[in-house]
Amino acid sequence: MIRYLRLYGCFLRFSFSRAMEFRVDFFFRVLMDVVWNLVNLGFFWVLYQHTSMLGGWTFDQMLVFAGGMFVFDAINMTVFSNNMWGLPLAINKGELDYHLTRPVSPLFFLSLREFAANSFVNLLVACGILTWTLARYPDPLGARRILVFLGLLLVGVSLHYALQMMFFIPTFWMHASSGLREIFWAMEQYTTRPYGIFTGWLRRVLVTILPFALVVSFPTRALFEGLTAGLLLHMAAVTLAAFVAMKLLWNAGLRAYSSASS
Amino acid sequence: MRLALLWNVSSTEARKRMSYRTDFWINSLGGIAVNFSVYWFLAHALFAASGASTLGGYTPRGMVLYYVFAILMGRMVQSTEMEMGTSQDIYDGSLSRYLLYPVSYPAVKYAEQVGALAPQMIQMTLFGAVAPFLVGIPQEVHITPASVAMSLASLAVANLLHYLLLLPIQEVAFWAENVWSLVVAERFVMSLLGGLLLPLDLFPDWARQVLYWLPFPYLYSVPVRTLMGRVTVTEWATGLVIATLWCGVAAALGRLVWRRGDLQYTGVGL
Repeated sequence: MIRYLRLYGCFLRFSFSRAMEFRVDFFFRVLMDVVWNLVNLGFFWVLYQHTSMLGGWTFDQMLVFAGGMFVFDAINMTVFSNNMWGLPLAINKGELDYHLTRPVSPLFFLSLREFAANSFVNLLVACGILTWTLARYPDPLGARRILVFLGLLLVGVSLHYALQMMFFIPTFWMHASSGLREIFWAMEQYTTRPYGIFTGWLRRVLVTILPFALVVSFPTRALFEGLTAGLLLHMAAVTLAAFVAMKLLWNAGLRAYSSASS
Repeated sequence: MRLALLWNVSSTEARKRMSYRTDFWINSLGGIAVNFSVYWFLAHALFAASGASTLGGYTPRGMVLYYVFAILMGRMVQSTEMEMGTSQDIYDGSLSRYLLYPVSYPAVKYAEQVGALAPQMIQMTLFGAVAPFLVGIPQEVHITPASVAMSLASLAVANLLHYLLLLPIQEVAFWAENVWSLVVAERFVMSLLGGLLLPLDLFPDWARQVLYWLPFPYLYSVPVRTLMGRVTVTEWATGLVIATLWCGVAAALGRLVWRRGDLQYTGVGL
């Protein structure tokens, strides 16, 4: 464990020094994330010009949901995204060889090697927006509930990582990855929209088989309605199941992997 | 000769795009189904929460139909935008290869983009023909042969406008290593202000009046509203003129940035 932490420390040092080499890109990335935040706030603002409630939430609650969504996205972009985007290419070009021969878990290496230092600034911006949405919320929420919300948000981030991996691992068999990648990006809309707008069978799917609703909507629900044992168990069970499924799929993918080098 | 060359570039790109069939069908069926479900539930939740029978002049069914057409036509407008062709060519030196072509670089890249539309064209024709029958055509929607023809003309201009608006941003690659973030940021703005995320009819009046003079509505909103018969011939023609003027502005800006960047471009090998 300590060896892995030390290794992750090396990843961080390398990523920050590289980010400093590409300073213009650093600011472009910050700009992109700020624009994404503003577009989403604008989206919800326009919707609430026509209604006072949407998916069971008021505008103030939706702003907190949006704040949580920005924090989730910033963590994902900082920690995982660059690695995920490079994974299909590494599989198709046979670059996995380098990782399979190293004395560390290839899954750890390929998932966490690239820390997007330029997105790290956006994490600070996103935390600022979330703090603002919580501060302007008209009713007292309490420190305990906010801590639970933040904790569940981290569970949501890890669940999202597992889901993301499950959409990229099939590259081992399909080779062309853009179709699945685009579906995953489309499905991320289930994460960035309040799950209360979905009804019937789709809502059931979104909290079980494709648990995108658990990533941000469930933590937000726990914040406003209080954490129940059922909700906590549900999130824990689905996240655990997603990780087990992802690991099994990864192992099967590695067995199917044919090296490109000699 | 030049047109023949551009045609060859375009058809080669189309064949390349159609070669990954599994990927194409996963993308077609999966991506469109997911987008459709999100917007279907969003539209119905909005109407249920507001208690109104129409919003921005749309019934629930009309708004769903707007989203269906926006998804399909949006793919035609965006084409291969995420692939960062121009900025990548500048960054990795592939641009040198194109400098030998007897036609301008932006023209060749645009021909590639048009060829890359082949999968999206099939998707739009297949799903666009079926969608009105699946969703149902509400009373506020009037799809006629004339509205289809007018919409296709708007769509062609929208595709060109989208390409030209992204071109100056991609050309920033002459000075910066990676402009992906800038392009994505512009795409986010286009999605909201162009009417891809929401019908612009839901925006407040003052916002719509401002947007009318900007290029964004002519990317998604105008082609879709034209198809749905919600635009008069005069409005459509005025829109085409404004969009074409924005094409000119974007092309001039792209040319200016290109000239400046070209002076400091260094390519190694071919």
